[in-house]
Amino acid sequence: MNWLTPFLKAVSAVVWKDLAAELRSRELLSAMLVFALMVIFVFNFSLELDVQARASVTTGVLWVTFIFAGTLGLNRSMAVEKDRGCLDGLLLAPVDRTAIYFGKTLANWVFMLIVAAVVLPLYSVLYNVNLFIPGLLLVILLGTLGYVAVGTLLASMAVQARTRDILLPILLFPVALPLVIAAVRASSGYLTGAALDEIMPYINLLLVFDVVFAAVALITFDYIVEE
Amino acid sequence: MSDPKPRWLSILDVVTIIILTAATLLVFLYAPTEQTMGDVQRVFYFHVAASWTGMLGFIVAMAAGIFYLAKKDLFWDVVGLAGVEIGMVFMLIGIVTGSIWAYPAWNTWWTWDPRLTTVTIMELAYAAYLMLRAGIDEPERRARFGAVYALIASLSVPLTFFSIRIWRTIHPVVVAGDTSGTFALSPKMTTVFVFALVTFSLIFVDLLWHRVRLGLLARRVEEKKLRLLD
Amino acid sequence: MVIPDTTSFMIAGYAVIFGVMLVYLVSLALRFRKLRQDEQTLDELDQDRQR
Repeated sequence: MNWLTPFLKAVSAVVWKDLAAELRSRELLSAMLVFALMVIFVFNFSLELDVQARASVTTGVLWVTFIFAGTLGLNRSMAVEKDRGCLDGLLLAPVDRTAIYFGKTLANWVFMLIVAAVVLPLYSVLYNVNLFIPGLLLVILLGTLGYVAVGTLLASMAVQARTRDILLPILLFPVALPLVIAAVRASSGYLTGAALDEIMPYINLLLVFDVVFAAVALITFDYIVEE
Repeated sequence: MSDPKPRWLSILDVVTIIILTAATLLVFLYAPTEQTMGDVQRVFYFHVAASWTGMLGFIVAMAAGIFYLAKKDLFWDVVGLAGVEIGMVFMLIGIVTGSIWAYPAWNTWWTWDPRLTTVTIMELAYAAYLMLRAGIDEPERRARFGAVYALIASLSVPLTFFSIRIWRTIHPVVVAGDTSGTFALSPKMTTVFVFALVTFSLIFVDLLWHRVRLGLLARRVEEKKLRLLD
Repeated sequence: MVIPDTTSFMIAGYAVIFGVMLVYLVSLALRFRKLRQDEQTLDELDQDRQR
């Protein structure tokens, strides 16, 4: 397994680069967080519901928030690379290209999880509902992972096109839909205390999605960044 | 003209037109009138056939994408684009006729059932594919990205179908109004149904061949333009 | 039982089917014609250049 160590080193190098850059500038995270907060507040005013009805809308609102904020993060993370010429620099490095993909995906995942870490307690407080259920947290982990897995892949393509800003959501939405459906239904299941055998099919679907698209990314990323 | 129309294609054109005429006659004269929803049921035959053709386009796009990534021959890119374009046209027919059929049958213009939702997502993926290509100017990169997206979409569309089917299994929906919805296929209906499927498959092959020729012609014109500019 | 009269829906359906197919065929034909004209023009320009 001689290739594993340099591979992992490359992956962590990319991850730390993104995280460190973000820590210094905080552009990405502030944009994502502001956006997430806006969505939560707008939903409050547009859906004048009583406490009961709110429970059933909660998972929808949550996932819309995650998705929109996630898409913002994906777009900007790849655009920064392209604009500053970092992408070319990374590509010149003598390391397997998929390390770049995994590094970027992990960094994007961390950003999405940070947003979730802020949104969940805030939502719990504002809407008086306990969101810290283990099952729900699992769904958020699996769902956001799948989203950034396929999102990073598509963002690497979108950023190389002329219409880059509007292209990513257009490419991502049809492809990420099964993930979103499964995530929303599974989250709903855990929140309303549904039986486990009603939730498991969705969890399985999430796992299948994550594995399939990680595999696809492994195979196709080289084709996307070759010059 | 550097590429005279192949004789086999002309023959295919004639055969396709004859078979389409035959299918249409079968639908209107041979198929019986369905009891619960009347004449609109006849739309069903071509509606399913058109949706099937829409899916054929998708499969062709996926296969062509894989072939392109493997062989880097731009011919496969032309085939993939042709598949997407034709698939999109016929899937649109399928979706609209599905809606037209649904209203008198179930008293609703739209149902969020697995098949209908999935084909709509497929149509959106088609559109996304075209928009991706539209944003890239270099032919080689355009072909590569198209192929990758076709591959990604062809994996996620079946997953969409399953996710909605799981949802409908756990939470079945009761359609307001006439819940009989489906109807039994008599032997005569089955004949017409199968014939329609064959007809539209033939139409797909015929149109695909024409569209690929168009794409190859477009590439030749591009090459001549570039050579002239040197 | 009376069979409901849904003929107008049937006509609408078939109008869509044949209409859309026709539009696509016309689009193909027009694009073919334009490209052949372009090809002819380019060939003539090329020949002029070679003289």
